[in-house]
Amino acid sequence: MATAARLGSRVDAGLLVGCVVLSLIAVVLKDEDREPIASALRRTVVAPLVGLQRGAERWRSAWVASEQRQLASDSIAIRGIKEQALLVENEQLRKIVGLGSRLEWGFIPAEAVHSAAPSEDVVTNMTLTAGSVAGVQRYNPVVAPEGLVGVVQTADPTMSVAILYTSPDFRASAMSADATAFGIVYPHTGRGSAAYMLELRGVPTRVQIKPGTLIYTSGLGGTFPRGIAIGSVVSELKTTEPWTRTYLLRPSVSPSRVTTVLVLTAQRVTQGTGNVWGGAVNSDSATKRIVAANDSIAKQATLIEAQARRAALDSVRRATIDSVRRSLGAAIAPEAPDSAAARTAPGTLKPPVQRRDTTRARRDTVRPDTIRKNPT
Amino acid sequence: MNWTGAVRTMLVCAILIVLHYTLRPLLAWRASIDFLIVALLLGSVRLRPGAAAVYGFLLGLVADSIAVSPFGAAALAMSIVGFGASWLKAVFFADNLALNGFFLFLAKWIFDLIFLIVGHRAIDPELAMQIFVWSPLAAAVTAVAGVLALSLLKPLMEVRTT
Repeated sequence: MATAARLGSRVDAGLLVGCVVLSLIAVVLKDEDREPIASALRRTVVAPLVGLQRGAERWRSAWVASEQRQLASDSIAIRGIKEQALLVENEQLRKIVGLGSRLEWGFIPAEAVHSAAPSEDVVTNMTLTAGSVAGVQRYNPVVAPEGLVGVVQTADPTMSVAILYTSPDFRASAMSADATAFGIVYPHTGRGSAAYMLELRGVPTRVQIKPGTLIYTSGLGGTFPRGIAIGSVVSELKTTEPWTRTYLLRPSVSPSRVTTVLVLTAQRVTQGTGNVWGGAVNSDSATKRIVAANDSIAKQATLIEAQARRAALDSVRRATIDSVRRSLGAAIAPEAPDSAAARTAPGTLKPPVQRRDTTRARRDTVRPDTIRKNPT
Repeated sequence: MNWTGAVRTMLVCAILIVLHYTLRPLLAWRASIDFLIVALLLGSVRLRPGAAAVYGFLLGLVADSIAVSPFGAAALAMSIVGFGASWLKAVFFADNLALNGFFLFLAKWIFDLIFLIVGHRAIDPELAMQIFVWSPLAAAVTAVAGVLALSLLKPLMEVRTT
């Protein structure tokens, strides 16, 4: 038994030594010697495994390629989305820059960060990145290029919070574009997309506003200056109020798209914004400006006309004098010499000085009535 | 080991070898699973040390013929690992998954050690990195995969514990 075990151990050791020796021989073999062995193995015994490995690698390559293709298409799509977002942002910034250049002064630019209470599905306020340090004060109007956005509710040193027109606390005194109808703008109490609508309440019954009429702030109350666009009339709402009408308004500004706003300073509110939002409500000042412009144009035209008339008369006068002189046989007097030019241009020939012709008979100074008439 | 057990073991080893040449290229991990080591150990513990050495040598030749590594390095490493696994089976191998895992980890690391030293023929920082970073990682992954494979294939095989 022990002999068999010893024999078995020797056989095991011998096999190990044999395998190790063969392996070492394979390791030290030159490339040209080992390659035929490996190649023979690959073509015969290992061929199925080679096929399996090749197939797996092919699958892997296909997978990687499809993944890369997917990544490429994703990146293209992302780039497209980003490009679109950049275009939109660029457009908004252009508009805000345009609004700023139209306003010229009295505003504070700020970025708007939307926020809504967890229980609300409507954006009712927004955080602005400008605060009291920048000059923002409570009740400053917040405007966008399209029109009114809201009003500042709290102003911290570096940031402020503004309520939007969707907030239940929002009110604005408003009027129609032709300033014939006045009322108060309230947020519309609806759900979904209707929650972003507005109501113009308190319009006298005798005044009827057509759908599509633009509504602007009236400037009454002092919070908002006159002429900021609020929205347009959609339809009249049926109410129980007998003496007033209520209209549904579509706001000019979509709060979700507002990313940059301008906060109007109190001084600007007092001074007014002029015809920045293109409303007819500012027709007074606009008309004055047009009239003034027309006046100045008319004045200029009149001046030009007078000058032209004067020049024409001068030329006619000169021509007449010349013709009279010619007809009288007098030497034609040259144009009045430019003495200054003559003085300043040395070497130029001076025109002959016209002296009085003393050889000619003098004008008869004897009065005709003193001549004695021939009695015959 | 009876014939049924031998056939089952051969079947499991064949599955593991096939996995080595299909799943491994598909995954293409930097620290990859070495199913050949799992197959080697699984067979070796059921064989006499000499036979295990021959089994390892043949498995190594298969690996050498397909891989671009120096021909014979895997054969040498697997011969030693197979012999050692079979010789130490009475000491270490038991029906314990954690112990099997450790055994697999050790076998893979020793294999890599021999394979890399014989294959590189020079000690450089890259070799050290391979031995002390990537090889232990690959050994750990192999141990985990081997334990999982053994658990899954347990019904197919009959483990000899005596």
